[in-house]
Amino acid sequence: MLILTRKIGEGIILGDDIRIAILEIRGKQIRIGIEAPPNIVVLREEIYQRIQEENLRAAGVRDVDLKEIANIWKQKKENEPR
Amino acid sequence: MSLDKQKTPVEPVSTTIATKHFGEIVVREDQIITFTPGLLGFSDLHRYILIEHGQDSPFLWLQCVDDAALAFVVIDPVYVLSDYQIGPINGVKKELDVRNLQDLKVLVILTIPSGRPREMTANLMGPLLVNLANRRGKQLILENSPYSHKHPVLPG
Repeated sequence: MLILTRKIGEGIILGDDIRIAILEIRGKQIRIGIEAPPNIVVLREEIYQRIQEENLRAAGVRDVDLKEIANIWKQKKENEPR
Repeated sequence: MSLDKQKTPVEPVSTTIATKHFGEIVVREDQIITFTPGLLGFSDLHRYILIEHGQDSPFLWLQCVDDAALAFVVIDPVYVLSDYQIGPINGVKKELDVRNLQDLKVLVILTIPSGRPREMTANLMGPLLVNLANRRGKQLILENSPYSHKHPVLPG
């Protein structure tokens, strides 16, 4: 990992089109500004991981389980009052 | 292939792709949805097609064109949460070049645990947006929303 020291207002450039700036330091919290093109995903790490893990879990669906769910769904629909 | 133009009207280019759930299927180029960037965790895979699960079934398969083994089950979120709102979409409208809001399709991915399908959950935090007009898609992450990535679909 590259480690840099920056002051408030200073920035870091990643590649040609991503800029990260240190905006404010308040106690233990640091406000960071990020400028990046729209095709770059910028997310808090924990959110990124949560969605990534959920996508990975969702990718393993089996036919037989979907069939069962579709049947449950159909029964539910039939039992609903019109 | 015949060169007689009378007998061969212009048709979109078709490709045969391998899939885990459906064997080999033929897809037309104009059915392929391109996700840029790819779904989180699958960033190298961009091309998908939507396949209906069956009549009377609200479920759809989102089958990856470039990886036979990769397929998600997706559903219109209206079946999960009738008042589901993805919030401001100006950014994504621009990115997907949405000219007519009716072209914008929202889908959510379902996680169906193996052998325990009743425990199915919907990822309402990471919906898929697809512009049906140009078939460009994106997984939107609703960071500051009240929605869960594991929203229970069936009552427990």
